[in-house]
Order: sequence, then structure tokens, then C-alpha cells
Amino acid sequence: MRFLRQLAAAAAVVTAVVLIGLAWGHVAPGSLGGSGGRQFTVRGRVVKGLPASAQPPPGAKPPPGIELTRGGPSSIPSLQLGDLLQPVNLAVLWKTAWIEAAVIAAVVLVDAGFRKRRRASRPSR
Amino acid sequence: MPIVSASVPARTRLDFWFDAVILVGYTVAYSYGFTGVVIHEWLGIALGIALLLHLTLHWDWVVRTTIRLLRPRGPDKLIWLVNLALLFFMTLCVLSGILISRVALPELGIRLPVEGPFWDPLHTLTAEVTLGLVPVHVALRWRWIAGVARRLVARRPLSRRPQ
Repeated sequence: MRFLRQLAAAAAVVTAVVLIGLAWGHVAPGSLGGSGGRQFTVRGRVVKGLPASAQPPPGAKPPPGIELTRGGPSSIPSLQLGDLLQPVNLAVLWKTAWIEAAVIAAVVLVDAGFRKRRRASRPSR
Repeated sequence: MPIVSASVPARTRLDFWFDAVILVGYTVAYSYGFTGVVIHEWLGIALGIALLLHLTLHWDWVVRTTIRLLRPRGPDKLIWLVNLALLFFMTLCVLSGILISRVALPELGIRLPVEGPFWDPLHTLTAEVTLGLVPVHVALRWRWIAGVARRLVARRPLSRRPQ
């Protein structure tokens, strides 16, 4: 019962944030300056998704490393499970883990330093 | 001889391992180039549910710390602020991810009429902010994490009951 009460309270807070997000999207849809296309990296390549209605100029070629895809479910690049362990894909995971580890290490060092200084500044009894 | 974790209450073990799973899940889900769109979307939805449970499991802390904020030297003010920011950005990240879903929601038969240049950049922006906030959120609790990990590692053999 207590868990359900807490779940309801947590869900209420999350709902409030969701409503703020929806209101933001409704009131100021252009505030983030998006282009409408989607950009993501697959197997080390940057893939730029075109809106379904967009037509690239005849003969136009994307820059090296960029692949243009048409919007819609058929254009969704999908990795097979075996692809996850490809070095180029693993590198993306390592990069994320490195960023997290670096931030954690920095915060721990700063926190430990603060605590040490605070202890040292306390008058000894 | 059976081995048990020394003096780690079940609830603490649950918190520790559940949070560890969320951290790993978040790291994998953020790495879009690693997962591809299908795993990214399903994992993101699972993370949304897990984060709601995480918030529920720590609701007592939220209430207690929010009340204490009024005190001039109340503890955990920084942690409270980081957690609030993380709640805000993570919720928006999951929300925008659901709204721009191209695989998971259509597979569930749900098609949201969401278009326009807002939700894609919001998803990117909030994901990048959470990548900064998640490790800070973890690191600000490093003493608790280190303490529990130490106790979990320091296993002791379960002594046999006298017959």
C-alpha cells in the first residue's frame, strides 16, 4: 500500500514534467531550432534522415561519410545483434562509458577535496 | 559452505543492484551508434519505467530532503538540485524519445501525430544534458556506493548452526 502511494506520488511528479514538456512543445515549437530531419550514427557513419516529402536536387551527393535516407519505417537502419560487437560500434559504447567515468572521477575528487578541507578547518577538540 | 554478503540489508542490495542496472542500461541506451534504433527505443522505454520505480523507491528521501531544504544548512542541497535537474531532463528525454519513436510505438500499434522541429532536437539536447548529469548523480553518492560495494565484496562464510 505504501509502495503504491509512493508510486502514485512519483508518477504525479513525472506527469507534471511531461505536461511542462508538452506545453513547451506547444507554445514554442521552434525554440530549439531543429531542422526536422533526424541525425544519428550507425556503424560509424552519420546518417541524415530526410523528411518524406523532401527531394534532393538531381545528381546531388552527400558529403563523404554521410548517407541520406528517406523518412519512413523502411529506411530505419537496424543493427543485427552480432553487429553490436563490431569494433566501430563498440567504440561508441566505450566513448559513453569514458565520458561517464571521467565525470564521476572528477566529481569524486572534488568532493573528497572539499570534505578534506572542511575536516581540516574544523577546530580540533 | 554457503557464502552470504556481510551485513547488507536486502533493501540496500536491491537499491545497489537496481541502480547499477539502470546505469548500465542508460550507458547502453545513450550509445545509439552501438545499439541501433530498435534496441535504443525499447531500452529507452524500459529505462523510463525503471526510472519511475527508482524515484518511487527513493521517494522517502525526496520528501525528507525537500522538507530539510528550508533549513539554512540543510544537507544534500546540491544533490537535491542535481536530482531535480536529472528528473526534469531525463523525463523530457524519455518523453521526446517516445514521441519520435519510429520502431517501438508503431510496433505496439501506436502512431502519434507528432511532427515539427521540436521533439528531435529536444531529445538530442536532453540526452546530452543527462550524459553530464547522470555521472554527477552517481558520483555525489560515491561514499554510499563504495561502502555498499565494500560490504558486498567482503563476503563471510555463513557459520553453521549448532546442531
